Amino acid sequence: MPVKQTLFSTTLDNGIVLLGEELPGLESVAVAFHSTAGAIHDGQGRCGLATLSGEMMLRGAGSRSSRQIVEDLEGAGVQWAQAVSMSHASFSGAMVARQLADALPIYADILRRPLLAEEELENARQMVLQNLAGTEDDPAHRAILSLREIHYPSPWGMPSEGLSADVEMLTVDDVRGFVTSHVRPHGAIIAVAGRIDWSDFVPRIERLFGDWTTGIADAVATGPRGPRVKHVPHDSQQTHIALAWSAPPYHSDESYEATAALAVLGGGSSSRLFSEVRERRGLCYSVSAGYQTHRDFAMAMCYSGTTASRAQETLDVMLAEIHRLPGTIQEAELERVKARAKSALVMQQESSAARAGAIARQWYHLGKVRTLAEELDRYDRLSVRSIEEWLEKHPVRDLSVVSLGRDPLEVRDAVSP
Amino acid sequence: MRFLRERLDNGLEIIAEVTDGALSTSIGFFVRTGARDESDDLWGASHFLEHMVFKGTVDLSADEINRRFDWMGASANAFTSEEDTVYHAAVLPSQQHEAVDLLARMMRPALREEDFSTEKLVILEEIRMYDDQPPFGADDRCRAVFFGRHPLARSVLGTVESIQALPVEAMREYHGRRYSPGNIVLAATGAVDFPALVESAKRLCGSWEPCPTPDRRVPVAGPGHDRSEHIVRPTATLEYAVRMSAGPAGDDDDRFAAKLLAVALGDDSGSRLYWAMVDSGAAEHASCHHHDFLDAGLMITQLSCDATDVAPLLDRILDVYREAAAKGIGHREFSQARNKLAGRVVLEGERPRRRLFHVGLEWAHGGVYRSVADNLRIVEGLTADDLQRVLSRWPLDGPGVTVLAGPAGAESSTPASARA
Repeated sequence: MPVKQTLFSTTLDNGIVLLGEELPGLESVAVAFHSTAGAIHDGQGRCGLATLSGEMMLRGAGSRSSRQIVEDLEGAGVQWAQAVSMSHASFSGAMVARQLADALPIYADILRRPLLAEEELENARQMVLQNLAGTEDDPAHRAILSLREIHYPSPWGMPSEGLSADVEMLTVDDVRGFVTSHVRPHGAIIAVAGRIDWSDFVPRIERLFGDWTTGIADAVATGPRGPRVKHVPHDSQQTHIALAWSAPPYHSDESYEATAALAVLGGGSSSRLFSEVRERRGLCYSVSAGYQTHRDFAMAMCYSGTTASRAQETLDVMLAEIHRLPGTIQEAELERVKARAKSALVMQQESSAARAGAIARQWYHLGKVRTLAEELDRYDRLSVRSIEEWLEKHPVRDLSVVSLGRDPLEVRDAVSP
Repeated sequence: MRFLRERLDNGLEIIAEVTDGALSTSIGFFVRTGARDESDDLWGASHFLEHMVFKGTVDLSADEINRRFDWMGASANAFTSEEDTVYHAAVLPSQQHEAVDLLARMMRPALREEDFSTEKLVILEEIRMYDDQPPFGADDRCRAVFFGRHPLARSVLGTVESIQALPVEAMREYHGRRYSPGNIVLAATGAVDFPALVESAKRLCGSWEPCPTPDRRVPVAGPGHDRSEHIVRPTATLEYAVRMSAGPAGDDDDRFAAKLLAVALGDDSGSRLYWAMVDSGAAEHASCHHHDFLDAGLMITQLSCDATDVAPLLDRILDVYREAAAKGIGHREFSQARNKLAGRVVLEGERPRRRLFHVGLEWAHGGVYRSVADNLRIVEGLTADDLQRVLSRWPLDGPGVTVLAGPAGAESSTPASARA
């Protein structure tokens, strides 16, 4: 089905990249501001600094108090969000299109003129600590955090949410120093999607952000990674199992082959893992395989949660299915993977927020936005042969394995050395 | 957007909100059955049956169902609540026929004994999964205490014991009784070919035999006075509290004002509870929302925080509610909440798969259709007086049930679990 797509991009003199996508038929517009102030810049013993800084930026900016920022955004009907990942601090909002002009100056204040007032620090710190305490009660999330920790090289495996002991020690000077150094125009992306008027949007952003020049850039060195197998003791009925191995990052053309192989393994209800682990054996409620990428490296991952007494069998079946994949992919399986991926791509055009996020992500990884036609064409060019060739060249090895539950599991791993 | 409807001779209703130019089509079978329609012997059967519907028909295996959904690129799933069981699929418009065909066939499942035994294990895993997660059963227990002997007291998942004891024959009987065509709505949103939808329904569902379904409404007494319980979870990090008090039911026009009131008082951000305890980090979470059933409504307050703070923070929440009832909602915070709700209505209205649930459930419950524009008019027509009336009709500090779950009291002689 032909979908009309209108994409825009331009770069301001100070390095900010502006991206736009017009989505016909929508009343809404979504805007997303991504700065490179991600958690990889936290620094030794300050895990959680980016997250605390992101929270502090919302607590007063320009002439607006902490409360006014929220009241001004929500008074304009903006559904707003703030998030800090390893690579970015992001501030976003979706709204009825006519509210965009009122919303943009609020975001400009947050990014350029945060007050970072000392009297807000304790409240912000307590909020971050509360979120960390809440994470302790989410066993599946904890298993995935542990998996990232052992799989990725430092600091990419550190939790962006922070570590309580480190967060307790952070000072307002740490926050001010972090914001000054890392919230800067270079590398920043501002993406807008939905009912947009690009010729109106660009000069507005120019006026709000054009003279922004602060900040210095720095690179982050990667360190060693953790042990390959880890058990996290947790007194729960279920044991949570998470596995990872290396995959090509999103900017690599081979990432299509890799994600297709993973989708055959555990991407839908007809996938191998769902069929073998849940449907045939009834071992679990949740089982899946997925892909998570940073700019320079990525991981393939599998997850399942199951009763402690059946966890070993679940892990064994998961490993067997991973091992069985090369040489066995069927044409029909690939056709289903393609159908799901293409359908999801088209349906994403119905959400301004999803598209604003997607075009920003693509620019970060690729330095360009792929058109829908390009993406659909690339899926069409996937073949069983291209996936099998990729699997042969990149056998699954060096698995990272996390179990979280009462008892450790034995990794009877036929695919790791 | 156009609204279209049709009714087959056997009682099956077909409705569609057609949006010209939409990129996708969403299809759903809305069955008016859920936990409230179960007896003790059938506790958990609605949800278990929802799983079994994906296990195949006499001429379709579970694998074939899964493969067909994936082959058509569908985003397909199902859910069960106290009142509804909903099977849904979002597809590209070219796949409408395939999606309707598959979902319609699934509504007449084989319910094979072997599949039943295997899927029982999956249901038990799901129960354990939720039991390991916040709020550790506090929500189910709170509703059970609030509704007492009323059918809405029953939890959707059932218990390990009720699921283990359930025979397949009982599920077959339940299915025959509850999946009558007159008890099902076939709804579609987005780029819908309505004549083709009706044609598919006639061919696939026209032979379904109808049987009478009794009225489900039962008068609700409510708790009468404040009650509280505690579920001890020694290994939990935070304490989780759920409080329920009465609110407007699904047939009460004040339900819209109640939802707006909940946004002003207890939305996840920018609300009175947010500024009172979340902004300062005193609580991990504090929120209020309204939920309506056919014959009852609930104002639900949720709190998570350090165990030592839970009692004073619950008191503080009641103070926030009392202050709102005494002094009202200010002009600025009223318009902030209303604009926020209106923004949500517009954004949700743009996605056919979100609209499907609104359109399908509204029709299944009350035989009512409201467009996005109708919903916007309702939200924009609300006044601060409407909120005040809700506060006086359903006092938030009135008789309610509070259930805590967490580490508090773990050192005492309280039993390891107070769960029903």
